[in-house]
Amino acid sequence: MSWAGFKKSVNRAGTTLLQKTGQIERTVDREFTEEEAKYRIKAYWDAMRAMTSAQSRIAETLETFYGAADRSSEGAMAGHAYKRSVDDMDTTFTRELDVPFRTTISEPLGKMCAYFPVVNEHIAKRNKKLLDYDSARNKLRKLIDKPSEDPTKLPRAQQEHDECKEMFDMLNDQLIAELPQLLDLRVPYFDPSFEAMIRMQAKFAEEGYEKLSGVQRYFADNVRDDYAAGQLDAQVEGILQEMRELSICGGN
Amino acid sequence: MKGIGKALARTPFAVTSKIGMSKKSVDPEFDDYHRHFTSLEQAAEKLIKDTKAFSEGVTSLFTAGAGFATHFSVIFQPIAGEFDLIGKHPDASHTILNVTKYETAMQELRELIGPELELIDTRIAGPAKELQSVMKLIRKTITKRDHKLTDYDRFNNSLTKLRDKKEKSLSDEKNLFKLEQDFEIATSEYEYINNALKQDFPRFMMLATQFIDPLFNSFFYMQLNIYYLLLEKMNSFADESKFDVSNAPGAQIAADYESKRSDAWSIIENLGIIKRIVSVCKSLSRLVQQTRAQNSQTGLGRQPSTATSVASGSSLRASAPPSRSVSSGGYKKAPPPPPSNSLQAAPPPPYTPSFSGGSTASASAAAATKRAPPPPPPLKPKPKPAPQIKYVVALYDFAAQADGDLTFNAGDRIELVEKTQSTEDWWTGRLNGAQGVFPGKCSLLFQCI
Repeated sequence: MSWAGFKKSVNRAGTTLLQKTGQIERTVDREFTEEEAKYRIKAYWDAMRAMTSAQSRIAETLETFYGAADRSSEGAMAGHAYKRSVDDMDTTFTRELDVPFRTTISEPLGKMCAYFPVVNEHIAKRNKKLLDYDSARNKLRKLIDKPSEDPTKLPRAQQEHDECKEMFDMLNDQLIAELPQLLDLRVPYFDPSFEAMIRMQAKFAEEGYEKLSGVQRYFADNVRDDYAAGQLDAQVEGILQEMRELSICGGN
Repeated sequence: MKGIGKALARTPFAVTSKIGMSKKSVDPEFDDYHRHFTSLEQAAEKLIKDTKAFSEGVTSLFTAGAGFATHFSVIFQPIAGEFDLIGKHPDASHTILNVTKYETAMQELRELIGPELELIDTRIAGPAKELQSVMKLIRKTITKRDHKLTDYDRFNNSLTKLRDKKEKSLSDEKNLFKLEQDFEIATSEYEYINNALKQDFPRFMMLATQFIDPLFNSFFYMQLNIYYLLLEKMNSFADESKFDVSNAPGAQIAADYESKRSDAWSIIENLGIIKRIVSVCKSLSRLVQQTRAQNSQTGLGRQPSTATSVASGSSLRASAPPSRSVSSGGYKKAPPPPPSNSLQAAPPPPYTPSFSGGSTASASAAAATKRAPPPPPPLKPKPKPAPQIKYVVALYDFAAQADGDLTFNAGDRIELVEKTQSTEDWWTGRLNGAQGVFPGKCSLLFQCI
C-alpha cells in the first residue's frame, strides 16, 4: 500500500487504534526510518566496493603508462607496489568483510523492513474488519428497533454481529498488544549492529591506510615534501607543456 | 572543399587496396609506435573514468555514511511517547548514548572530505583531461599521415601500372610525366609526416611516463589522506565512546555480533503481527481448541446459540494474545517462553469420549463424540436420501491439531460429509481420501459452493 493510501485508510476506518495508542503513526515513521537506513547502508557498502575496485583499475592503468616507456623505472616499481596493495585491499574487503557485513547489518535491517508491510497488512485487515463490524452492528440495531416478520432474521444478524466483533477484537487486541512490543524491541534488536558497524568501518579505514602507506617506501625521498609544496602539480603542468610543444601536436 | 576532393580521389584506391588489387605500404616501426600510442589513449580515457568513479565512490561513501548514521541514530531515539529507553534497555545503553555522537562524527567527516575531492578533481582529473586533449592533437596528425600514405600508395600504383604498359599512347606519356610529379610530392609529404611522428613518438612516450609519475604520487597522497581522515575520525570516535576497534578479522566481528545478539530476534519472530494474515485462521483454530477444551471439561454440550458465541468471543479476547506480555528490559536474561511454545505446552485438549450429554442431541455433541475413537469410516454414514454432494472451499490453511482432524490448505475443495447449523461446531469433511473434522468455527472462512 502506498504511503498516502495507508494514511487515508487509517483515517477512513476511524482511528480508534490511533487514538488508543498512537502506534500507527509511529509504525509508519519507523518503517520510513529503517527503510532509509537500509537504503543508505547499501549505498555505503556499494561505495566502499566502488572505491576499492576503482583503485584497482587505476593501478592497472598506471602500469600501461609505465609500460609505454620504461618498465624498470622507480616510478614503475612504485606503481607496481601500489597495484599490489590496492588489489590486496580489494580482495580483503570482499573476502573478509562482505559476509560479516551482511550478517551484522544488512540482513537485520532487511528483515525488519520486511516486517512492516505485513504489519501494515494487519492494520489494513483490522480496519476492514472494523467496517464489517460497524455494518453488522447497524443491521442488528435496525432489526432490534424494527423487528422483521421473519423470526430467523434477528438471530442470524446477531450471529453475524458476534462473529464480526470477535474477528475485529482479535485483530485489534493483537495489534494493540504487539505493536508497542515490536517498536520497543527495535532497540535490543539493532543494538549489536551498531558496534559491528563501527568496528568494520574502523577496519576498512585502518587496513586501507596501512596497506597504502606501505607503498611510500618505493617513492623517492623528496616526493612527500614535493606533494605538500605543490611541486608535483608544477611537474605535471611542465610535462603537459612539453608535450604540447612537440611538432606532432602542432597540427602540421 | 579541398578536403572533400581529396577524399573522393582516395576512395577508389581504398577500395582496390582492400580487395587486394593494389599494393599497400607498411611501416612496421610506425605501426609499433602507433599500437603503443593507441593503448596510451585508452589508458588516459580509463584513468579519467576511474578517477571519476573513485571520486564518486568516496563522495557516496561519506554521504551514505552520514545518512546511515543519521537514520540509525533515529532508531535509537525515543519515539513520541517513549521515555527512558536506557532504563528499559540497559544492555543497549552504550549504543543509545553514542549514536548521536556517531552521527556528528560522520557529518564532520563528510565535510572534511570535500577539499580532498576537490583536489582530486583539479589536480588529477584535470591534468588527465589535458593529456587527453594533447593526444587528440596527435591522433589528428596520425590521421593525416594515414591519408598521405594512401596518396603515396595510390600514385605509386598508378605509376607502376602505367610504366608496365607495353605500348604507351601519347596521352599515356603525358600522364606518366604528371604521375611522376604527383608521386614525388606524395612521397615527400608522406615521408615528412611519417618521420616527424616516428621521431616524436618516443619522446612523447617518455613524457607520458614522466607525466604519470607526479600524477600518481599526488593521487596516492590524496587517497592516503582520505583513508587517514576516515581512520582518524573512527579512532577518535571509538576512543571517546569506548569502542574497541582494534583490527580484528571480519569473521571475529561477525562472531562477536552473534554472541551479543539478544533474543529480541526470536521474540519479534514470534509476534503475530509480523506473520502473514494466514495466521488468523491458525490462531482462531487455536482458540477453538481452547474453547473446546473448556467445554469438554465442563462437560457441556455446546448450544449453537448466540450466547455461546458471545461467550467464546469474550474468552477469546481474554486469552487471544496468550501470555505475550513480555517484561521489557530483560530480553537477554530471562527469555520469556515464545508464545507458540506456551500454546503447545498447554495440555492438548482432553477429548474424553464421554457420552454424558446423551440427551443433547445437538450435532455439536455428535461431532465431539465422534472425535474420541478413531473415526469409523463412515462411507455410508446415514441412509440420507441426499446423494447430492456439497463442497466447501477452504479460505485458509488449517493444520490438524489432534487425531481425526482434517488438514488442508487454502483453496482446497473439501467434500462436506456432515455439517451443523452452527459454525461453532466442528464439521466433518473429506479431502484427498482422508476424512476428518475441521473447525466450522471458521465459518467466516468457508464458502459453500
